[in-house]
Amino acid sequence: MNWTPAALSQDIPSGSAAPGQLGDKDIVIWRSASGRIAAWSDRCPHRGMRLSHGFVRGEFLSCIYHGWRYGDGGQCHRIPAHPELTPPEAIKVPVFAVVESGGIVWVAEKDAEPADLPMEFAGFASFRTIRTTVPASIVAAAFGCTGLELRGTLGGTDVVLLLQPLTDGCNLHVLAADGTGPDQLDRVSVAVEALRRQAESVQEFAA
Amino acid sequence: MNGGAMRDQWYPVAIAAQLPQKGRDSLLLGEPIHIATDETGGARVTDGAGRILPIISRYGHIWTSLGQPEQDLFPIPEADQPGRRLVDVGSVKVRCSPLRAVENFLDIAHFPFVHTDILGSEPHTEVERYEVEIRDDVDEVWATKVKFYQPQAAKSAQGGITTEYMYRVPSPTCSILYKTSPPRPGEWDVITLFVQPLTEETCEVWPWMALFDDDSSMTDMIHFQQMIFVQDRSILENQIPALLPLDPGKEIPTRADMTSIAYRRWLKRHGYTYGAQLVAA
Amino acid sequence: MKLYDYILSPSCYRVRLMAALAGIKLELRPVDFHPGAEHRGPELLALNPSGTIPILTEGDLVLTQSTAMLTYIAATHAPEWLGDDKPAMRAQVAQWLAFAQRLTDSAGAARLHDMLQMPGDIVKLRLAATRTLRELEAAISAARRRGRIFLAGDRPTIADIACFPYVALAPDGGLPLDAYPSIRLWMRAVRGLPGFVEMPGIHRLHELMPEPGPQPDVVRKESA
Repeated sequence: MNWTPAALSQDIPSGSAAPGQLGDKDIVIWRSASGRIAAWSDRCPHRGMRLSHGFVRGEFLSCIYHGWRYGDGGQCHRIPAHPELTPPEAIKVPVFAVVESGGIVWVAEKDAEPADLPMEFAGFASFRTIRTTVPASIVAAAFGCTGLELRGTLGGTDVVLLLQPLTDGCNLHVLAADGTGPDQLDRVSVAVEALRRQAESVQEFAA
Repeated sequence: MNGGAMRDQWYPVAIAAQLPQKGRDSLLLGEPIHIATDETGGARVTDGAGRILPIISRYGHIWTSLGQPEQDLFPIPEADQPGRRLVDVGSVKVRCSPLRAVENFLDIAHFPFVHTDILGSEPHTEVERYEVEIRDDVDEVWATKVKFYQPQAAKSAQGGITTEYMYRVPSPTCSILYKTSPPRPGEWDVITLFVQPLTEETCEVWPWMALFDDDSSMTDMIHFQQMIFVQDRSILENQIPALLPLDPGKEIPTRADMTSIAYRRWLKRHGYTYGAQLVAA
Repeated sequence: MKLYDYILSPSCYRVRLMAALAGIKLELRPVDFHPGAEHRGPELLALNPSGTIPILTEGDLVLTQSTAMLTYIAATHAPEWLGDDKPAMRAQVAQWLAFAQRLTDSAGAARLHDMLQMPGDIVKLRLAATRTLRELEAAISAARRRGRIFLAGDRPTIADIACFPYVALAPDGGLPLDAYPSIRLWMRAVRGLPGFVEMPGIHRLHELMPEPGPQPDVVRKESA
C-alpha cells in the first residue's frame, strides 16, 4: 500500500478537525493546539457519532455528542458523565498512519504503513483541494492522462494534480509551481474548475 | 411485509387539529400510506392498496397501524389532568433510525454539549446513579431518580436548577419524559417523543407535551421544544451505523447509559428490530 | 427594533446574529411558523403581504427582507459591518447579499423539504445548492491566498452574516460540507467572532472553553 493524499496541511490549522476518507473508510484528520496532526477512524466508540464534528482542546479531540475526550493513540482520557472515572484502556479510537510532506497530509492503514516516506514534489506547492462527483479515471482522461498523479499545465502554470479516489467521486489536490502568485493561482483555480465541469459532463453523457 | 413484531404497534402520522386538507402521502415501516380528511372532517388513513387503516385520535395526534394491534394505545393519565396545557409541537423529519431517535431522547449525558446552556453546561456533566427497570406488569422500560443540573430546564424555568426526571418507554418508537415542573414542584411535566418510522433509516418525529405553565405563550412552548429537538437532529444524522446496534460490542455504554441498555435489551427481547442492526457489521 | 421571529428559520437567525454581533437587543415576537403557519395569518399578512418571515419593525419602518435588515442594523449601530465606503467594496457587499438569496432558494429550500416536509424538487434544489457552495468555496479559497478569510475585505461584514446561516445548515438539507475546506475555515472564523450566537443545528464552538476540572462541589451537594 502507498500513502494516500487525504488533505492539505493548510486546510487543517491547529485546534481543528476535518472529515476525510481513506479508501472506503471515513476518517477524522485533526491537529492539536501544539500542531500535532492525527488521522483516526471518524467514529466515537461510545455511540457512533462522527468525531469530525467534535472539538479540539489542547492535545485532545472530544466528541460533540457526550464530550468523550481522546488523546495520543486514540486513547479515551475522560468521560464527562463520570468525571472521576479513569476510562479503561480498551476505549480507543482506531488510528491510521499519518505524515505531512510538501504541504499534504498523507494517510495509510496502520498495519500497512509504507516503509518509504510519501513522494516529494520538488518545485511545487499545494494550494487547493477540490472535490468532484466523478471517479479519478474520468478526471485523468479529461486531463489527457492516466493514473492518480497527473502532471501538466493549467491556466498557464505547471501543475501536479494528485487524485484521491473516494467512495463517491474523487478529490483533486492541486499543486502549482513554486512562487506562483495569487493572481496566477486564481487562473489555475479557474482552470481546475473547468476541468471538473468537463469531467462531470463526460459522466452525464455516459449516464 | 415490513416491520415484524413492530407491525402491530400504533404510530403517529398527523396532528389531529391540523389534518392535511388536500391529503398527504407518507410512509410507515417503508410502506406508502395516505393521510386525508374525510367528509365529516375526521381523519382517514389508507395504505398503498387503498385499504382503510385503523385509527385512534389521542394525545394530539392521529395514530394508525399496518397490522392488528392487540392492545389499545398506551395510557398517559396525565393527559386528562386539569390545569395542563397540551402542546402540539409539530413534526420534524430526520435521516436516522427511529430507534436511534428514541434512544437519544432517553439520554441526559449529552445535554452540556448538544443543548449547551439550556439543558446542561460544563462543568456540570456528571450523571449520578439512577434506577432502571423493565416493568413486566406493563411491559415498559422505566428509568427513575434521574437528576441533572440544568441552566434553563424549561421555558418557565428561571436560572439553573437540579432537575429530576423519569423516563418511560411504552412502545418501541415512543417515549415519555416526566420532569420536575418549575411552577409546580410537586407535579411532573410530561414531554413525549412520538416517532413515526418512515423507513429503517428515516423517521418523522412528533413531540407532544402536557405542561403546567400558565405564563408562556403556546408559540414559546412550541419553539422551546423544537429548538431542543433540532439541536439533536444533526447528531442523529451523523451516527454510524445509521441502524441501532442491538448486539453488545459494537458500541461502549457506561453507567450513564443504563436506560439505553435496558431499551436495547427490551427491543431485542420483543423482536422490535425495524431500524436495528442485529449482527455487528 | 422588533423582530417577528422563528427559532428554526435561518433568515431570522441572520438578524438575531447580526444584532448580537452589533451588541444590540431585539424585541422578539415569536411566530408559529410550523406547525401553525401563523405567517400566513391575517395579522402578519397585514404587516407583510408576501407572507414571509422575518419582519423587522422600528417606528414606521417595516422591513421584510432579512438582508435589508442586516443593512439597517449595521447602518444604525455598527457601520463597520457595512464594509469600507468605497465603490468596489459597496458593490461586492451588495453582490454577496444577492448571492445569499441563491443560498436561501437552494440550500434553504432543500432544508425545508428534508426537515419540515415542504414541497420542492429535492434533486434540483441540491444541484443548485452544490453549484452555489462550489462558487463560495472558490471565493473563500481565493481570499485565503491573500491572507483573508472573510467574504469582502479584511474584516467580517454583513456579507458573511447573510451567507453564514444557510451554509452552516446545508447538511440539514442533505448537503454535507465535507468537500469544502475553505468554507469550513470561514465558518469557524464566523463562529469565533465575539458575541456570536448559535441557532439549533449549529453547535457551540466548545473549543473556546477550557476543559473543566472536577465537577464543582456545590452542585454535588445540592443534588445528593
